[in-house]
Amino acid sequence: MAAPILSVIAAATGDSEGLWAHLFSTVLPRYVANTLALMAGVGGLSLVLGVSTAWVVTRYEFPGRRVLEWMLVLPFAVPAYLIAYVYTDFLDYAGPVQGALRDAFGWQTRRDYWFPEIRSMWGAIVVMGAVLYPYVYMMARTAFKLTPHTLFEIARVHDRGLFRTVGLPLARPAIAAGLALVLMETVSDFGTVDYFALETLTLGIFNVWLGMNSLPAAAQIASLGFLFVIAMLVLELMSRRRRRYVDTGRRMRSLARLRAGPAQVAACLAVCLLPVTVGFLIPVGLLLSFVVKGYALPDYGDVLTVALNSVVVALAVAALVMAAAALMVVTVAYRPSRPLTALAGIASSGYAFPGTILAIGVVTFAGAVDRGLDGLISGMMGLSFEGFLTGGIGLVLFACMVRFQAIGYGALASGVNRLPRNIVSAGRVLGLSLPANLVRVILPLLGTSFLAGGLLVFVDVMKELPMTLLLRPFGFDTLATHLYQYAKDELLEQAAVPALLIVFAGTGPVILMNEALRRLGEGRAGSR
Amino acid sequence: MRGIAVAAPGERTARVRRGVLARVGAAMRPPTRVGALGLLGSLAVLSGFAWAASGVQAGDELNLYSHRQPFLIEPFLEAFTAETGIRVNVVYASKGLAQRLQAEGKNSPADVVLTVDIGRLAIYADKDLLAPVESAVLTEAVPAHLRDPDGRWFALSKRARVIAVSKDRVPPGAIQNYENLADPKWAGLVCSRPGSHVYNRALMASMIAAHGEDGAEKWATGLVANLARRPQGNDRAQVKAIYEGLCDVALINSYYYGKLASSDIEEQRAWAASMKMIFPNQDDRGTHINISGGGVAMHSKNKETAVAFLEFLTREAAQELYGTVNYEFPVNLAVEAAPAVRAWGAFEEDSLPIVRIAELAPTAQRVIDRTGW
Repeated sequence: MAAPILSVIAAATGDSEGLWAHLFSTVLPRYVANTLALMAGVGGLSLVLGVSTAWVVTRYEFPGRRVLEWMLVLPFAVPAYLIAYVYTDFLDYAGPVQGALRDAFGWQTRRDYWFPEIRSMWGAIVVMGAVLYPYVYMMARTAFKLTPHTLFEIARVHDRGLFRTVGLPLARPAIAAGLALVLMETVSDFGTVDYFALETLTLGIFNVWLGMNSLPAAAQIASLGFLFVIAMLVLELMSRRRRRYVDTGRRMRSLARLRAGPAQVAACLAVCLLPVTVGFLIPVGLLLSFVVKGYALPDYGDVLTVALNSVVVALAVAALVMAAAALMVVTVAYRPSRPLTALAGIASSGYAFPGTILAIGVVTFAGAVDRGLDGLISGMMGLSFEGFLTGGIGLVLFACMVRFQAIGYGALASGVNRLPRNIVSAGRVLGLSLPANLVRVILPLLGTSFLAGGLLVFVDVMKELPMTLLLRPFGFDTLATHLYQYAKDELLEQAAVPALLIVFAGTGPVILMNEALRRLGEGRAGSR
Repeated sequence: MRGIAVAAPGERTARVRRGVLARVGAAMRPPTRVGALGLLGSLAVLSGFAWAASGVQAGDELNLYSHRQPFLIEPFLEAFTAETGIRVNVVYASKGLAQRLQAEGKNSPADVVLTVDIGRLAIYADKDLLAPVESAVLTEAVPAHLRDPDGRWFALSKRARVIAVSKDRVPPGAIQNYENLADPKWAGLVCSRPGSHVYNRALMASMIAAHGEDGAEKWATGLVANLARRPQGNDRAQVKAIYEGLCDVALINSYYYGKLASSDIEEQRAWAASMKMIFPNQDDRGTHINISGGGVAMHSKNKETAVAFLEFLTREAAQELYGTVNYEFPVNLAVEAAPAVRAWGAFEEDSLPIVRIAELAPTAQRVIDRTGW
């Protein structure tokens, strides 16, 4: 699975004909500065929103908590580029907000008053943070829930803040894993930065590739963004190198929730409602209003077929990713070897490349395999051979698998690292081989991580656009590609129905799996 | 199996495995569910390969790689199918189709490539992805400066890069040339999408062709100094900005005006009503135009049909359709533009061989990077 990623890196070794000198002296410093600012902003915002909400719903009991617990995941079902379109329409000069302000205060033109410009760095940070924080939220919440209450009790006995001394430090690997996903998606995002015309590395990649006709230089810039992410991850790993995080509590019971007082209820609600409103309620409401106003598409039948495609692809990819992730995680954790670990690392970092660039890596790789097979087959049997890998839906699945492997791997790795090592040794003493250990001991203990990872991958594939667009076979549309042909021209009204379907198709599974997670967590705590 | 001392290791493993398999279903719910998902996944992959195989067939079907949105080309395909009975399959993507075609090599199912912007067409030709075509119909319909001398690509429709000005705030005749946009008298009044968009890059290339790299850079510096806001949005958004009073002057493609003026949405008609379209440089080289075009894929197994399809697109019915569907100009001089487009009036166009625009595009991108457009 590392092959497409390596083929991007191979492309980067091509000759860029002195473009770098030009880039360095003109746009590159700006690309880098903007990318770092965006990463810092989106990462910071996701951390604050994700960790605070996760803590609030695990620590406090307040009216609406059970609903909010899953609603907090919903913004994740909204594609970032879509929410960018919607908010621009909502907040710019001709939009309802500024219109109402003008009416209220009697302003005539744009020059009479100041209003924040949504197409800006802060706009991008808010928009992306609002839909990406659920990565951190899901990971952090699972970690908080799995932290044994005994540890919290120790902190309470010593009169220390539970969050600072126990909750946060123990959830750190999980939070870091969530943050890593947020950062990778930020670096590789194209739709939002393109729409807001922010000059980040991604935009630079496309200018160099399509404008200057140099794929090698584009691949080099892409690898630079990739290095940013890797550097962050390595830093985080190094800073906790000497610690290990293992659950040793036998009777796993989560922290009992505190019944919140009135002031606390208000605070809890405010903390939780803010991201839900900004990331889900407002954009979905606006999209619905387009549909109600009747600007929608007439061909609902088509849209439904397309929706089915989306769901099937997303389910298949989720299953494939989780299966591959299980294999990788367990191999790395229990049969460690340097080259393998490195390979697993590379294979699960496809998320840091812009989708289109990764898709080119995938298609280049598949083309080479096809040619190889073709040569082999026609050589042996004298038959001509039509493309096997390229141009099939299989390639879309493979590409999505490569791209979203990071999510599956991240979810499982943070789960596996919590397991005590001696569990496997115990299994071995009882006569289980490593594969048997995997099936009978480790996977059951990772049930929650499995579901969480699978859910994240499913929703991400539902939203995936650039790779499906480029790699799909003839006549194959998903909701995202169907939406894109309108969204590309900022025809938001026509795009509303497929957009809502993406969101709702993501919402159902989010609710279902969240429920499953909850029951699993409780069942587990109760049965032992 | 190292680490476990058993008399007959192989036998023992087998027994354990069987035992595991037998009990998996009962003991562990989550993995079973995962297993079911896995099964579904592999089924999907298999059916996907079958799908791929069925998509690759010759005969009365034509496979199209398109950079143009499906809803724009659908009417053409329907007309073609109605006339010939040949079905057309489409893959639409905005970026990377050339790389896909290249990677697929001679196994590629594609017969025809359709794109907008001459730069993209030239890239296909440079990568040797388009087959040379000899067709009297095409050479007659498409003027020489709008097709490849080797017959690898042909323009199918034209669009002009025009200047949109505010009807109320810009007096008639105040702006007549692209060069005027760099005049300090428009400081803080000009709007544009980012310079590196293909339409602006192509315009920049035409400025380089007219004034040389230095002259064009000076022009771009002046233009950037006049911008009312950071370059953003598409051409539609520039018209909206004129309507909002944010700027008085903007660069847009001609068909955007047509689309807005006849939009179903009242608000968009109001945007269009607030502006006037100016075809620049009528007294010298003419207005810069760009094309949409197409070519036959190098490894098409269906070249005759592919050529027939391109020929169909240059004939009267289709040429008119470009105007009615998307407010573009016909390339075939024997065909009159659609009424809505004709209403804008005749204008002189830059007769620079369009291939020069593609050749100058990388230089243009460098100028754009240097000036920060």
